[in-house]
Amino acid sequence: MMTKKKWAVASSLALSSMLVLAACNDEENETTTPEEDGGSTEENADVGADFGTDTTNAEDAIEGGTLKVALVAESPFQGIFSWTLYEDGYDADIMEFSTNAIFETDGDFLATNDGIASMEVDEEAKVVTIKIREDVKWSDGEPLKIEDLMLPYEIIGHADYTGVRYDADFKNIVGAEEYNAGTAETISGIKKVDETTMTIEVKEISPALASIGAGIWGYAEPSHILKDIPVAELVENDAVRVNPVTLGPFKINKIVPGESVEFVKNEHYWKGEPKLDSVVLKVVSASSIAVAMQNGEYDLAKGFSATAYDQIETLENIEILSREELYYSYLGFKLGKFDTTAGKVVMDDSMKMANKDLRKAMGYALNIEEVSDVYYYGLRSRANSFIPPVFSSFHNPDLPGYTYDPDKAIELLDAAGYVDTDGDGLREDPNGQPLEIKLATMAGDDIAEQITQFWLQNWADVGLNVTLATGRSIEFNAFYDKVQADDPEIDIFMGAWGTGTNPSPMGLYSNDAPFNFSRFATDESQELLVAIDSPEAFDADFRAEKLLAWEELMAEEAPVIPMNNRLELEPVNKRVKNYSIDYTTDLGLEDVELTAEEPIK
Amino acid sequence: MWKTILRRFLVMIPQLFVLSLLIFVMAQFMPGDPFTGAITPDTDPARIEELREKAGLNDPWYEQYGRWIGNALQGDFGKSYTYKMEVSTLIGERALNTFWLSLVSVILLYIIAIPLGVLAGRYHNSALDKTIILYSFITYAIPTFVLALVFLYFFGYKLNWFPTGGSVDVQYDPGTMGYFWSKLYHMLLPAITYAILGTTSIIQFLRSEIIDAKAQDYVRTARSKGIPMRKVYTRHIFRNSLLPIAAFLGFTITGLLGGSIFIETIFSFPGMGQLFISSIGSRDYSVITALVMLFGFLTLLGSLLSDIIMSIVDPRIRIE
Amino acid sequence: MAKDKKDKQEVVSSPPTGMQVVIREFKKDKVALFSLIALVVGIITIFVWAMFIDQTELMRVSLREKFAEPGSTFWLGADQGGRDILGQLIIGARNSIAIAIAITLITGVTGVVIGLVCGYFGGWIDNMFMRIIDFFITIPQLMIIIVFVTIVPKYTVPIFILIMSLFLWTGTARLVRSKALSESKRDYVNASKTLGTSDFKIIFGKIMPNLSSIIIVELTLNFAGNVGIETGLSYLGFGLPPTTPSLGTLVSYANNPLVLSSKWWVWLPASLLILLLMLAINYVGQALRRSADAKQRLG
Repeated sequence: MMTKKKWAVASSLALSSMLVLAACNDEENETTTPEEDGGSTEENADVGADFGTDTTNAEDAIEGGTLKVALVAESPFQGIFSWTLYEDGYDADIMEFSTNAIFETDGDFLATNDGIASMEVDEEAKVVTIKIREDVKWSDGEPLKIEDLMLPYEIIGHADYTGVRYDADFKNIVGAEEYNAGTAETISGIKKVDETTMTIEVKEISPALASIGAGIWGYAEPSHILKDIPVAELVENDAVRVNPVTLGPFKINKIVPGESVEFVKNEHYWKGEPKLDSVVLKVVSASSIAVAMQNGEYDLAKGFSATAYDQIETLENIEILSREELYYSYLGFKLGKFDTTAGKVVMDDSMKMANKDLRKAMGYALNIEEVSDVYYYGLRSRANSFIPPVFSSFHNPDLPGYTYDPDKAIELLDAAGYVDTDGDGLREDPNGQPLEIKLATMAGDDIAEQITQFWLQNWADVGLNVTLATGRSIEFNAFYDKVQADDPEIDIFMGAWGTGTNPSPMGLYSNDAPFNFSRFATDESQELLVAIDSPEAFDADFRAEKLLAWEELMAEEAPVIPMNNRLELEPVNKRVKNYSIDYTTDLGLEDVELTAEEPIK
Repeated sequence: MWKTILRRFLVMIPQLFVLSLLIFVMAQFMPGDPFTGAITPDTDPARIEELREKAGLNDPWYEQYGRWIGNALQGDFGKSYTYKMEVSTLIGERALNTFWLSLVSVILLYIIAIPLGVLAGRYHNSALDKTIILYSFITYAIPTFVLALVFLYFFGYKLNWFPTGGSVDVQYDPGTMGYFWSKLYHMLLPAITYAILGTTSIIQFLRSEIIDAKAQDYVRTARSKGIPMRKVYTRHIFRNSLLPIAAFLGFTITGLLGGSIFIETIFSFPGMGQLFISSIGSRDYSVITALVMLFGFLTLLGSLLSDIIMSIVDPRIRIE
Repeated sequence: MAKDKKDKQEVVSSPPTGMQVVIREFKKDKVALFSLIALVVGIITIFVWAMFIDQTELMRVSLREKFAEPGSTFWLGADQGGRDILGQLIIGARNSIAIAIAITLITGVTGVVIGLVCGYFGGWIDNMFMRIIDFFITIPQLMIIIVFVTIVPKYTVPIFILIMSLFLWTGTARLVRSKALSESKRDYVNASKTLGTSDFKIIFGKIMPNLSSIIIVELTLNFAGNVGIETGLSYLGFGLPPTTPSLGTLVSYANNPLVLSSKWWVWLPASLLILLLMLAINYVGQALRRSADAKQRLG
């Protein structure tokens, strides 16, 4: 139970910024609807294809009303309502109602000029210019100032800031390190030009700037409120916890800590007054959510798990929306070590998994299709690439990936010299030594345990003796501890990444990335990775081409084999109108309406 | 007696000290730390290392312990890594919920157990007695989590009589009557479950007390004086038998604390038990250690309370 | 957890009672007799049956059989991995019972020995152990066990038994100590001492037999308590490793309301088995207790 939640936290840290960015978007890029591309097309039983991203309710709406939202979570939310300070994915889900990112994004999650702010990158001068609209107001009626955009940088860069966001990306801003060290009063690279314009000078130009990365921050903080609060005390201050001033369609009215939040509409919302009067959000446990939806207790369920699909499948009073998640799970092979003193990945040819045919065979042996079908109702599908299908310009649906093909696996193993020499039904390695491969998996719910058993069986079917490292699936924290420390007990491991809105694989697969857990790094792959993030890669075609080349290399070398992409489900009561979870939708939360006084039962 | 109570309190100190040492060392061995969960492709491992350093997680354990115990003595249990607030504030919120839940549970427990125990004792060996005994055996035998799950499903989901999670509805303002009722309403189902499961020992104890009392001289005397049986029960037996029950209070408290881990998890009730389980998952050391210390303290307090009540009720028992 | 504290006060010290008293008591109490027979037959059946089940084969996941209903292939249906519930129930019950027995024996032996030694010798030995026991009683056991389980690097059944035993021996020790204390002041002990019988012989040859009935009652009730703790921890996910079938794990599937409402065969048999097991042990324990306590005897 808990481990599931923790994983949600891990992935939604990256996810959540995207969720809000995508919440309200303008006309262009209607051409790409994520559901239709790649990945899932090979699956016949893909129920996900039956669902839309928008509600279909066309009845007449009532005046105002209260939207009842369930936040599916096993533990209370933390209640840090500031994008600069929050850490928990649940807080991000809550802030979705009360905040508004300052940039809008397109289908590839690149910033457009339609939001509260617009951005221009001067590649020569390495300067990003950010301009804000006039007449945007905070929920307390104060006008939005350019200082409000500068404040988050001053908080994140501050020596007393304890969050994870003061990172390599942030240090890309000129003067950030000096400010953090206390040798400078301000961040020298950030300058106010006039009342609506600021500039940010960066050290390196990268295409990630357009994904609102590489140091650029996508949210504003109300400087008229927070300015005088010391950074160290911010996170416990009422201005963050109890009555945050926000830019979104709704503002927080009342909070029961950890349990529920009541929002009322923000009449100062820059896109116009929301149609609903209020929103009530409550934490609901995963086990009760299906019944609660059935009983008409809630209008929406955020964070609904696909494995519970069978519980809502037949409900008459709800409509199920779905969209692709920025997520892939993978099977990784340990091919070396991380040299912590040099900060480099060092490959080692003597590792048990160093034979690439063995790795490929292990990929072909997995019957991911059947698992997706039976346990995930087709809501997860075999991933063919490291770029989730959502990134329409970068995801390549034509990559073959590794599909279930035990015969091919057997063939590969035979050819590579992995044969059964002692007649126990299990293959020995090419030197005739017994081969025991140790798999590390994360502990999850009971379904996850059964799936792990199923994988072991799959491998046993092609004659490979795979056992669980430590004898059981490993609890989330310990799993990442061991995998990152290159524990010698682990030969292969199964993990997952929430990819965030920047499709660059650099942080996960480069030769100096500690998160390059498989410890695979060749000159060839490094070159491609550098090219993917080079200034030339502002050209999307160039970037896509390099990405493809890199993906083909990864498929050939198979240091990591992508396993699943997944769809996110959101059950919505049929009284809800104009609600959409499409990443590129025009509909915002301010447009949501209700067509009945109470949720339909 | 005050002297002995004071002495008991003094004895607690080394006990709690050893407990703190034990739990602190154990927490050190737990795999992962609060920052493991913060890993995403976008986080910088160097930053995480820096945060670990800043939080003092890289210091030797005895230094960390010294720092912690020093602060703890001043009532400062540090900050929760996940909730980013003072542990004392965090636990304070939850402790209050658990406290109220326990109080309602204890009240319900006595409401259920006392009449049943008295009836079983009074009509000793009758069919009623046997039924009550069977009931008490079944509630003893049924695992907490099974009954809780079935109740949650049946009364919560199926019949929709009770809320299935949380401690209060957000619409009400603290201090109003609506707020109070909403809180009570949210507590009722878990409290009933608690109460039903806890009745066994009280019923059986009360029953055998009354059976014993019936044979006592003072009852015989009263009867021989022609006082009606009903009066004998209310005036004499009941009063004499009921007092020792009060002594169970301490044990009941200890029991409730252990049970809260199950009940609060199943009913999604934001109390200390649920906080403990979720803190284990998120490796929130400061919360785990503080909770174990608090539970340890309350256990001690519970047994002291039992002894005190016992010695008041029955002067033959002296607390040592 | 509250339950293992169950009115131990009731166990009043009494003159030693022989086997006949026990037999007589069981003859009088039909329910207890029936429970005893059912318990013995049931446990033997479970252990013998379990020997014929191939656990690897049983735990083999077959996706197409997910939640198969009870029928001719699976008498009690299948769980979400398409694995036979009946087989898991038998193995799970065997595991739970075996673990409970192991814990009961370990804690029983430790508790009895320490209790006897403390009660007999008194003095600094007694003082030292009493401090330790006092400390163990302070600690919130369930919480500490959970923390312990999360820090064990390689988690197996024997380790689980050891962790549990580490914390559960104190109750028995305390009880036996208090009995031994009063027993060792009796004349026959003093007589033996003057005759020069060794302490070891007195403790285990004289005092222990006299306390046997109390010890048996204590162990029986501990056994029930241990089944409860094991299944509870497995339910919370801190018990047996998930690949080892356990009654608690089977019940935990009921966390999913769909399973709870429409897949009764997954969780109900395990729940009932726990219930019946506890009930039977309790009836037997009560009968034993009565035979140890002359005042409450039925016959």
